[in-house]
Amino acid sequence: MKISLNTLKYYVDINVPVEELCDRMVMAGFEVEDIEKQGDEIKNVVAAKILKIAPHENSDHLQICSMDTGAGEPVQIVTGAQNIHEGDYVPAALDNSYLPGGVHIVSGKLRGVESNGMLCSGKELGLTESDYEGAEVNGILILKGEPTPGTDIRKVIGLDDYIIDFKITANRPDCNCFLGVAKEISVVLGTKFTAPKPEYKTAGGNINDYISIDVRNFDLCPRYIGRVVKNLRIKESPEWMKKAITASGMRPINNIVDITNFVMLETGQPMHAFNYNDIRGHKIIVRNAAEGESITTLDGKEHKLTPDMLVIADGEQPSCLAGVMGGKESEIENDTTDLFLESAKFRRDNIRHTCRALGVRTEASSRYERGTDIMNVEYASERALQLISDLDAGDIIDGTIDINDGLPEDRIINVTTDKIMELIGVDVPDEKIADILNSLGLTTVLNGKELTVRVPSIRDDIEGRADLAEEVMRIYGYNHIVGTPMRGDVVRGKKLPERIKTDKIKALLCGAGAREIATYSFIGSGAVDTLLLDKNDERRNQIKIINPLGDEYSVMRTQLTTSMLTVLATNISRKITAGRFFEISKRFIAKSLPITEQPDELATMSVGIYGKDEDFFTLKGIIESIMKLCGAHTEYERSTEPYLHPGRQALVKANNVPAAVFGEVHPAVAEEYGIDCRVYVAEIKLDILLQINKRKTVYKPLPKFPAVERDFAMLCDSDLPVGTLEKAIIKGAGRLLEKIELFDVYSGAQIPEGKKSVAYSVWLRSADGTLTDTEIEAASSSIIKNLESVGAELRK
Amino acid sequence: MKEKLKAIKAAAQNAIAAADSENIIEELRVKYLGKKGELTAILKQMGSLSPEERPAMGQLVNEAKQELETLIAEKKEALKAKATELKLKAETIDITMPAKEINAGGLHPLNIVINDMIDIFQSMGFDVVDGPEVETDYYNFECLNVPADHPARDMQDTFYLAENLLLRTQTSAAQIRTMETRKPPIRVICPGRVFRADEVDATHSPVFHQLEGLVVDKGITMCDLKGVLEQFAREIYGSDTKVRFRPSFFPFTEPSVEVDVSCSECGGKGCRVCKGAGWIEILGAGMVHPNVLRCCGIDPDVYSGFAFGIGIDRITTTRYKISDIRLLFENDKRFLDQF
Repeated sequence: MKISLNTLKYYVDINVPVEELCDRMVMAGFEVEDIEKQGDEIKNVVAAKILKIAPHENSDHLQICSMDTGAGEPVQIVTGAQNIHEGDYVPAALDNSYLPGGVHIVSGKLRGVESNGMLCSGKELGLTESDYEGAEVNGILILKGEPTPGTDIRKVIGLDDYIIDFKITANRPDCNCFLGVAKEISVVLGTKFTAPKPEYKTAGGNINDYISIDVRNFDLCPRYIGRVVKNLRIKESPEWMKKAITASGMRPINNIVDITNFVMLETGQPMHAFNYNDIRGHKIIVRNAAEGESITTLDGKEHKLTPDMLVIADGEQPSCLAGVMGGKESEIENDTTDLFLESAKFRRDNIRHTCRALGVRTEASSRYERGTDIMNVEYASERALQLISDLDAGDIIDGTIDINDGLPEDRIINVTTDKIMELIGVDVPDEKIADILNSLGLTTVLNGKELTVRVPSIRDDIEGRADLAEEVMRIYGYNHIVGTPMRGDVVRGKKLPERIKTDKIKALLCGAGAREIATYSFIGSGAVDTLLLDKNDERRNQIKIINPLGDEYSVMRTQLTTSMLTVLATNISRKITAGRFFEISKRFIAKSLPITEQPDELATMSVGIYGKDEDFFTLKGIIESIMKLCGAHTEYERSTEPYLHPGRQALVKANNVPAAVFGEVHPAVAEEYGIDCRVYVAEIKLDILLQINKRKTVYKPLPKFPAVERDFAMLCDSDLPVGTLEKAIIKGAGRLLEKIELFDVYSGAQIPEGKKSVAYSVWLRSADGTLTDTEIEAASSSIIKNLESVGAELRK
Repeated sequence: MKEKLKAIKAAAQNAIAAADSENIIEELRVKYLGKKGELTAILKQMGSLSPEERPAMGQLVNEAKQELETLIAEKKEALKAKATELKLKAETIDITMPAKEINAGGLHPLNIVINDMIDIFQSMGFDVVDGPEVETDYYNFECLNVPADHPARDMQDTFYLAENLLLRTQTSAAQIRTMETRKPPIRVICPGRVFRADEVDATHSPVFHQLEGLVVDKGITMCDLKGVLEQFAREIYGSDTKVRFRPSFFPFTEPSVEVDVSCSECGGKGCRVCKGAGWIEILGAGMVHPNVLRCCGIDPDVYSGFAFGIGIDRITTTRYKISDIRLLFENDKRFLDQF
């Protein structure tokens, strides 16, 4: 809400500088978004008298002026304007002066003649007709009267006002107007506040002879007041009104329209003026729009209406979109002679709904949406008539039509001062509490510690002790609140087990040299195509955002790999040669699509690595350490993820449950991301790992007896996985096995075609004693037998 | 014999002194003290002496033997030390050569800050809870005293997934879930991700992070709220940080306040960071609205509580002086490596 300081001063005494006023309003709950000093950009521009005008030798349109700028010596300024005469008083921008928009004026030569400044037009000073008469004429601004040459031009043209932009919180719709803000200022500063008392002359007649009003939906329109004004005298509004309207960001149009706007700005109650003669049948009907009806509004746009929208109709059709915008047909124009004036209360959620549906928002609708006061409807109507009368804008017909379904009683709150202040913990004297509430217009009676507070409908936001506590404190001052340390039983805050485990996994990954990343929870809908996912793949069941910021952020992710690939691509494109990254976040799995209930949000982890020292097995090592940390028994199987290299990927089972997939990214997919090197990613269903109950660690005694190491070298088919050999050895060695280590895989010279040579070291040890040759021999032959059974032949 | 002993001893002493390697010393030891050594030979000749002469001579020989043994041992030690010294000298390296990199990774700056915040509140007895990111209208708005078509909904641009389902716009939704499942006294924080349909720029992100705090008990006051936030602010911004309450409005708290901390850059004098104000707005807070308590089945006449919501991203960007919030989600390794 933008309000000029001079306007506020009309209602309330302001006895402090504007900066202090704003600071104090901020501390009372009215944030100040901006203080604009009018003419702030104008510097070194003065009123000057034209002493002499001489023609310019080298130009037929330039003139050379000798100016009295109050400096003693005349100053020579060249101008192109033709509307000036000797003896005129005009604004002169002197050497090294500034005009709005940062325009800097310095001395120079115009076609060879020295010019020590510039004579200014109203436009150049940022003025409009509402600021100063003649400001918009073509040419130099001719000043009225005989201002002393050298006087600051801002003083001469009255640019001494401040425009303050207050941010009005949603609970204070009563302050979206001059009177509301002025009232608050009076309480904050402790100064006098005066609201205009509407009084006006009427011209006789009876309104009922002119119009009938029928409200058919009291739910959406609880109150409607109509008045009629005849013999309009439409003209320009007075300067003060134009200034007030302009300062608040609206445009002056003519006295009638300006009065309705001014009253809205002043009281917060939107007004609407209809051309009386355009109201067919002289009937006003407040009703829901009929199916298929439409209206062309003041801005010339046609809107198709639906039955949930409220209209003000005449005898035949909608004449106004209630609370939003008037109809083009009944617009007030310069030749309008008679006026029907509406002041009404409409239900805020309905107005909001209509505005959203039609994509329209006006000063009026935004006030209705925030909520208007039903009791204010009458005051605003009276105030508008007072202005019509004062400005002699028309003849007011006697009589008011006030249709309502009953008016609300004031809300009475009975509460003790203790009950209010126990929410705050600050001691405020009982009398002070009552005084503050009274000053805010909440009529309060104090009896001992008992308070009876009468809340008028305009302060609908005040429902109980918490609201009263806020009212008292924002005026008494929040600086009185002194912090007390946390009280209550001494307890240690607990973390959820999932968070504790996740933190450990993160620590492990950090130790493995990985950097944690953070990416958005939504991705592009096409990302699943880029990953080449099968059309039946479950990860395609993505939840769509109804109002996304763009297609690239349009669905909730069902996997983290897309985001990881994007991050890898970003880093690779920036010539970062290697990196390890991880992210722990959620995947969103719909129970059904389109969704009707909250989806499963499952903990998920992704890991991505690249660089010359990284390969499949580095990533496998990382995965294995995570599995170990979680206490999972791990098995690897070949997998068939379409976005991974068909020969370099694996599914990881944790305690027999598929829990992760990892591998080298398929070159075709990498290319789509602009990745030109080998990258490796893992997608881990952390929710599964977090469910595993890790066995409690129990210490195993250190070995007392020596271990025996035996090497086994074998030949087998080259496509036999070493995992199979490993399993065979483990099985063969039985309980004596301590450790097994693959130390060589070879194929090539001296190895038959289609075969490979594999060599393992195996350590055997017993906890019960040094192994005997017989025991070792038995274990060895068992290992060999098992190896042979899977198709490996020992090399002699 | 005495003379002979003297001569042997002198010769040995000279030879040991002149020796310049451990090998020569070993040879000398064998030559003089070995089984066939010169001193051993003298000892063997002791039989030719008279019984009266024998003890004195024996003592002399033993003394000479011990003397030589000590000399040899000392010389050995000295030579070994010398050899070590030479070896170490030869092994001198250029310590300014680059280190063998230990690539420790690290947490994302947002999570570093979240962990710090969790530590602070955990030490004050707050439990850490989680809530869903896809929320129902009921938990995100309705029960937080923001009914449908309430103008307060304009304060936030919400991403909708279905008529009744949305991406939570505030961690406050977790308040309700907590109050539904726990009985007072309640003391919880809920850090997490929140979403608003803000176009991306240097200071806005559609995905950001909040930490919600909630305390409900008998006799909880705004002074308690201030105390907790002061403790938090001092831990995060430094021990002389001041906290200021400014009246404001949130539908789910009453009274509501914006909370400012004294600018840690200028100490409250006013600078570029605080835009001359001396204060930086860090969070919104207030006393839990009676309607919210009621909605969760808690009697607002018996219990009171406070709630606060801290913007984690803002604290992160101010702590590390990150000028553009987009850097947090871009994940350039050179950026991440700095934390």
